[in-house]
Amino acid sequence: MRVSDKMFYDLATKNALDARDRVLTASQEAATGKRVTSPGDDPSAAGLIVRDRTQLIRLDAINQGAGRANDELSMADSNLQQLSNVVTRARELAEQLSNDSYSAAERGNAVAEVNTLFNQALSLMNVDFNGRYIFGGTKDNQPPFDASGNYQGDTNVRQIEVAPGVLEDSSVRADVAVKGVGGGADLFATLNSLSTALGANDGSGIRAAFASLDSVNQQVGNALAKVGASMDAFDAAQSIAASTKLTTTKTLSGEQDADVFEATSNLALANHALDATLTASAASFQMSLVDKL
Amino acid sequence: MGSDLISILTQAGQSLGAHRGAAATASQNIANVNTPGYSRQIANLAANTPTDFVGNTFIGSGVQLQSVTQARDAFLERQMQSAFSSSGFSSTESAALTSVSALDPDDANGLTAALGTFYTSLRGVAQNPSDTGLRQAAVSAAQSLAQTFNRTSTALEQARDGVDANMAGIVADVNQSASAMAALNVQIQQSRVTGAEPNDLLDQRQQLQDKLATLTGATPVLDAQGDVAMALPGGADLVGALRAGQLSLAPDPNNGGHLTVNLTRADGTGPVPLTSAQLGGNLGGALSARDGGLLTAKNGIDQMAFDFANTINAVHSAGFAADGTTGHQMFTVSATASGAASSLTVDSALVANPALLAAASAAGASGDNKNMLALVNTESTALSTGADVSGTFQDLVTSFGAKSALSKAISDQDSGMVDHLTQLRESTSGVNLDEEMVNLTKAQRAFEAVSKVITTADSMLDTLIGLKS
Repeated sequence: MRVSDKMFYDLATKNALDARDRVLTASQEAATGKRVTSPGDDPSAAGLIVRDRTQLIRLDAINQGAGRANDELSMADSNLQQLSNVVTRARELAEQLSNDSYSAAERGNAVAEVNTLFNQALSLMNVDFNGRYIFGGTKDNQPPFDASGNYQGDTNVRQIEVAPGVLEDSSVRADVAVKGVGGGADLFATLNSLSTALGANDGSGIRAAFASLDSVNQQVGNALAKVGASMDAFDAAQSIAASTKLTTTKTLSGEQDADVFEATSNLALANHALDATLTASAASFQMSLVDKL
Repeated sequence: MGSDLISILTQAGQSLGAHRGAAATASQNIANVNTPGYSRQIANLAANTPTDFVGNTFIGSGVQLQSVTQARDAFLERQMQSAFSSSGFSSTESAALTSVSALDPDDANGLTAALGTFYTSLRGVAQNPSDTGLRQAAVSAAQSLAQTFNRTSTALEQARDGVDANMAGIVADVNQSASAMAALNVQIQQSRVTGAEPNDLLDQRQQLQDKLATLTGATPVLDAQGDVAMALPGGADLVGALRAGQLSLAPDPNNGGHLTVNLTRADGTGPVPLTSAQLGGNLGGALSARDGGLLTAKNGIDQMAFDFANTINAVHSAGFAADGTTGHQMFTVSATASGAASSLTVDSALVANPALLAAASAAGASGDNKNMLALVNTESTALSTGADVSGTFQDLVTSFGAKSALSKAISDQDSGMVDHLTQLRESTSGVNLDEEMVNLTKAQRAFEAVSKVITTADSMLDTLIGLKS
């Protein structure tokens, strides 16, 4: 092929520009570690990045929600445990003082302790977690029990997501556990009548509390079991979210990240190519008949 | 008539002129080694027709510069026109599409991130609807999402405006080149009256042809007189033989005020609007990017914003706010999909009072999160595209990316083709300094030798004259 001088220079320009472009791309990849930054870099990977990033954000949100629900549930768990202790203590007192060998005065002295147990139970049930009353169903902006132990909450159970579209209970029904709604005993009414019976030295009245307190203890036990099951579900949701996040992060990295070693060696290669291009161009400029004549 | 020494002197003088011409041609080539579009010229020497008949044979009568022609390959040049046209098209389209960053999948301020934050905040409210801080965060996330829709749509629209600005520059360039080309046709016609080829004018015209092909995709049409007209794709004359047409731009109310290209024909009729099929090169590529990839993406974002806002509103307005009221909208969205993304805002009453966020499915219970869970569920509700909101955006990004990648690939391929053909043309028409140095030296040596002939003939004459004395 006949070669004109301009071809040398055009070729040198083009080669140098191409080589510099490759160096730029390679150094960008090596510096950012990213292979796909704009949709045109790899259209299908770009779409998958959108999907995976959405998935990661969703997993974080579910993880966070499950964490908060778990915090509330562990508060509920601890308070229900304590409530169980209160009920047990009331049962003990009733058991002990039901014996008619105790005098009216001795039974009268126990009234104060039963009233204290009543108030303890009330404050355990009216607990708020970060300003939220956790035992009132979805009526969480007011104490669920008034001073006389009447339930003011509703009969709903709060639920939140453990996976997209899958819900899990994040509260227990205090009306069932404490007030015996749906066929059980009412703790506060029982404590009240126990207190009255003790004050009135009414042995049969005291004995009447046995069954109710046993029943309440059973109800609280059921509630604790439910709380435990929900906590397990949220724990599982958190660990599933964490492991899915790991997998998704790995997939995302495969779609968008450059292989570090490959990127670095590409950069070295591109630099070498640029060097070779410049050397070859410079050499090709030097030979001319003009210098020899 | 017998041969004489005087005629040797005469023809030697003429031959000196021919070699001087050859040297001048080499020098012209050397001088224009870097001139864009220059085609190397060849001095064609030819022996004069012998007129001297001596004895029974003709004696030659020297050399003359018969013509100076250009080394050109018409076949190659014809191919180059179409290569220039497609390369102009694909490079402009690719540049316009790749400059858009609004759809970058990894953009921390992009739609993916904003949608994610929005749903995260809704999940927060779903966990504890009575928390005013979480409600405030959800309203802020909704505002940020609406602004991201606005920004994404605006960025795409700005890219389209950028294409318009680019087109204005291209059209000015086209008009100038078309006029210059018509003027050159006139000059070339006048020069040819002398019978000689105006080589340098032909080079200039070739360059304008290439330029117009790159700018508009026009192809040259050679007429019987040797004038070159330029016809746009579809046949409209951009340059008639001796007169040039003019392009102009006018806003098109049916296309959001974006510019449409009009042609005032070479014969002065018009202006008539040109469709995108009637334009190639840079202009065609600009139109293709503006009304193709960019418009599709913008419409897609609009449709997505419209569907999404209406889906959210339908669920939100069915729920109950913290104060027990119902029927509140979350987003204020336009009546049709057109322009929905750029005008999307969060309902002003909701912004003023996050308590209006309808988390509950019934009035009264502060902790009721059922409607918020339903709102969270809209994350997987199919929009009019058939995919959910994130899937819709995923499809948008993929299809825009595919267009952008394709036009980039075509552009690379086209520019490779142009480079290749340019090399081939250079191979035929380009100047090689070594060759020209040889030609120059050759002419110089011949010139010296012919000069020697003159001194020899002169001394022969002297000898002849000296015989008498």
